[in-house]
Amino acid sequence: MLYILTFKKRGFMVRKRSLILYILLLMFWIVISAEIDFQHVFVGAIVSFATVWFWQDLGPRQPSVPTAGVFLLLIRCMLMMVWYIIQSNIAVAKTLLFNKPPSKPMFVIMETSIMSNWGRVLLGTCITIAPGSATIDIDPETGRFIVHALTEETAVGLLYWRIIDEIERLEKRMKRGETHVVDVGRTPGINSSDSPASDYRADSP
Amino acid sequence: MIRIIAYICFVGSFLAFSSGTLGLFKFPDPYTRMHALGMSDTLGVGLVGLGLILLSPDWILRFKLIILLFLFWLINPTMSHLIAKAGLIHGVKPVKDTKLKKG
Repeated sequence: MLYILTFKKRGFMVRKRSLILYILLLMFWIVISAEIDFQHVFVGAIVSFATVWFWQDLGPRQPSVPTAGVFLLLIRCMLMMVWYIIQSNIAVAKTLLFNKPPSKPMFVIMETSIMSNWGRVLLGTCITIAPGSATIDIDPETGRFIVHALTEETAVGLLYWRIIDEIERLEKRMKRGETHVVDVGRTPGINSSDSPASDYRADSP
Repeated sequence: MIRIIAYICFVGSFLAFSSGTLGLFKFPDPYTRMHALGMSDTLGVGLVGLGLILLSPDWILRFKLIILLFLFWLINPTMSHLIAKAGLIHGVKPVKDTKLKKG
């Protein structure tokens, strides 16, 4: 009985995600189309459906659909990111043009408590998008980041970056709202053999 | 007035791209050059996009430009990361002064 309920719930969640993906794809198609007429919308609807159908196996592996609260938190995170991009652009321009602070490049090895794959990808992208720091590698086992920083100031600033806390908060909120998908990466301890989520791709009931 | 702001954005973008190109010559190794180009990718493209959004005649075009900017800001870091990782894997050495810091 429990299995049937879980299965039904899982099926519903996958369908919901597929529907959202379909709407997003169709919206994107309409946006990049030159005109909004029957032909464009019809072709877009078919292509979007085919794409969703083709990638339906990915459904359970996608992060869960964000709630309104999570979505607002994500927008806040993005706005903060825009501010950081402006700040780091000015910092890199100063280093480049006036060598202030003097360029002393550094490789930084960062340990974070971000567990999910999407959280790590988000942080990696945020680090690289801000000029002056670039993610070189992320270890999927330990979640350790190797980052190249242009100056010592940037390197130190990265370790205490507010975005890391924001992503951790976002991750906690997402986990609270999650019903069945566990996207916890492959961090030892969490994905141990006795854990229900021993395979990070599997759905835990 | 909007037209003047848009032109200021274009000039800012030109400066960002110029600084990025200057960095390509001035910085000593591929890893540091990547940061200079990151400036062109984010501020340069962002300001061009903002200028074009301000000059756009309708909202659909503005929306398209916003999506385009979003894609730019999503794809560029991914490509930078790939280049840097490929460099590290294939033994591209950083400049001598480069230090290692564990956090």
